[in-house]
Amino acid sequence: MDTQWPRYEVFKQDSPHKAHEAVGSVHAPDAEMALLQARDVFVRRPSAVSLWVVPETAVFAITAEEIAANPVPPLPPIATHAQTYLVFTKTSQRRSMTFVRHVGEIVAATPQIALQLAMESGRFNEDAVFVWWLVPESAITRSEPGDIDSLFTPAHDKTYRQQSYYGFVSPTRNRK
Amino acid sequence: MNESHQTALSTWLLAMADDQLILAHRNSEWIGHGPILEEDIALANIAQDELGHARLLYELYAALTGDDPDKLVFFRETAVYRSTQFVEYPKGDWAFTMLRQYLFDAAEMVLLTQLVDSTYQPLAQAAAKMRNEELYHYRHSSAWLKRLGLGTAESNQRTQTALDTLWPLAQQLFVPLPAAEFLTTDGVIPPATVWQEAWEQVVRPFLHNCDLAIPTAAAPPTADRAIHSPYLAPLLAEMQEVARFDPEATW
Amino acid sequence: MQSDPVDTDRLQEFETRIARGEKIEPGDWMPDEYRRQLIRMISQHAHSEVVGMLPEGAWITRAPNLRRKMVLMAKVQDEAGHGQYLYHAAETLGISREEMLAALLNGRAKYSSIFNYPTLTWADVAWIGWLVDGAAIKNQTMLAHCSYGPYSRAMVRICAEETFHYKQGKEMIVHYMSSGTPKQKAMVQDGLNRWWWPMLMMFGPHDTDSPNSPLLIRWGIKTKSNDTLRQEFINEEVPELLALGLTIPDPQLAFNEASGSWEIGPINWDEFWQVVRGNGPMNAERLAARQQAHDNGLWVREAVAAYAAKQQA
Repeated sequence: MDTQWPRYEVFKQDSPHKAHEAVGSVHAPDAEMALLQARDVFVRRPSAVSLWVVPETAVFAITAEEIAANPVPPLPPIATHAQTYLVFTKTSQRRSMTFVRHVGEIVAATPQIALQLAMESGRFNEDAVFVWWLVPESAITRSEPGDIDSLFTPAHDKTYRQQSYYGFVSPTRNRK
Repeated sequence: MNESHQTALSTWLLAMADDQLILAHRNSEWIGHGPILEEDIALANIAQDELGHARLLYELYAALTGDDPDKLVFFRETAVYRSTQFVEYPKGDWAFTMLRQYLFDAAEMVLLTQLVDSTYQPLAQAAAKMRNEELYHYRHSSAWLKRLGLGTAESNQRTQTALDTLWPLAQQLFVPLPAAEFLTTDGVIPPATVWQEAWEQVVRPFLHNCDLAIPTAAAPPTADRAIHSPYLAPLLAEMQEVARFDPEATW
Repeated sequence: MQSDPVDTDRLQEFETRIARGEKIEPGDWMPDEYRRQLIRMISQHAHSEVVGMLPEGAWITRAPNLRRKMVLMAKVQDEAGHGQYLYHAAETLGISREEMLAALLNGRAKYSSIFNYPTLTWADVAWIGWLVDGAAIKNQTMLAHCSYGPYSRAMVRICAEETFHYKQGKEMIVHYMSSGTPKQKAMVQDGLNRWWWPMLMMFGPHDTDSPNSPLLIRWGIKTKSNDTLRQEFINEEVPELLALGLTIPDPQLAFNEASGSWEIGPINWDEFWQVVRGNGPMNAERLAARQQAHDNGLWVREAVAAYAAKQQA
């Protein structure tokens, strides 16, 4: 039986003042390897200062269409076992690169309750959200600030991976 | 720098560059053939870094001798290459590749940590740049080795078999080069014994924790970098094939 | 196709969303056929990237200088990365990578027929960059506007990265033709002779023989037809090739003043279908190489999964 290993969702932060965005996933046997693989897959070019990886099974994802079809029933707030969930939203249809990005935290006992609280809180512009992701903070493995030099800086020197390195190549225009 | 010091330095730089080049070649053979897609990407990255390190070192060499890095790589005969047999051996299975990479990464990391303080400024600068990449390489190959050593009985056995072959070969990395004492007394490079001891302090406990036994016999098959394994000549024939197809051409 | 009245409503709503330019995201309702067509296209596209590593990858160890070697490694690395992005996009539709790889290895899934041709000289690496990647970019630029969010995002990222693939290939051909040696020029012309027609076939069958196209266009997966993309590419690249003094291996190639287009002779579709059906020059070798990597990697994947399980226990 083949295994391609479990899937880890990858979130990338492009600069210190930007939010982490979901960029795709890697197949990895565990979180430590997932973080290294995320670096090789998503940081071949210089555009990262931080990476997070999360097992895909830990992500609670729901679209506005799904919520409209099955409105979230009011859930009793459960005080026990509350934990912090990171809230991610997709709020634009215009730019095709826009997917869910990190917008804040909610403390709740389950992701469903976290979603309900997030929608009721008024903090996340809930009418303009197309996709919600709720991720328990405890499931996230993060790169450390000290990793920047070894994980992210080397891509800056790999200028041959940039199209600008090659200049403009056109035999017809050169002749003019 | 006087002439004998300069010769000692260029000899040393060429040897270090050749090791990086040949190992990059072996690692690049995995691109498209790795055990999982994510590792094709990782190995391609490591091979690019090593080729980049080779190029930096050839450039330092060329600055002393007036040679051209491309000429050095693509038109030099096997006999005048100065790589160790350790990097020349075929890529083998994934255990062999990852173990060789681990042993080499540990050696390079330890060396670069010392070279960032080299009294030869161009070398200190190059070392600082290479070291960032090397920290990641070490993290990658040590993560792999832990998993191979402690994974299944088969993976442990394959890694142990690789270690039995590679441990003696690895010792050749630390054999002092001709006239290297000029460089160590000037603080250009660390003494080979210091380098080797620092390496052993890293790798011995680590390999032990991976449930791998270090072979007791540790003499390299040769101490002389002019003596190559049978694997280098075919490797170079392949590497130089296109360049030599039309030596007048620029590519 | 959809007879259930509820589904008819949903289909209408779905098509309205697409007409509004909204992206369909994982979890949203979609017709089964939309999902099926996307899985077919995206997995085929992913396999093409992964199999596509082989013809060029074979030249990494032989690249003629340090710069070219570095560039080629980065390019083939990108192809692995693009395969990875695309498998991810397909996975969001509910198919696993194990299933997709099994379909590739048992011959059920297809990949771009171009990669079943051999790379015989270094110039072929340059031609793959210019013509094959150039053709792929035409298709991918269109797919970046696709209605399925994950596919569209993968394409945006791939197009941004792939432009360098095209430029490095073209840079080589321009250099070899304008200041190269006679041997280099001969190598380049020989490559064009072999790659020209297979490259034109990459855009797929004529619109009249492309039964899925109207549906794919209606659902915003494709926005242009095969023939439209092919003709755009011909019009862009033919003048460039001719300006370098190259001979395009098509005696009927002619510029039509009225339409402003370069018209080509007939494409040999028998050859195309032979290659698609697995009878191309390199089909067997490509699949054997993938199968071998898969088999050799099995103990590795098992070992690392076993380690992860032990750590969790």
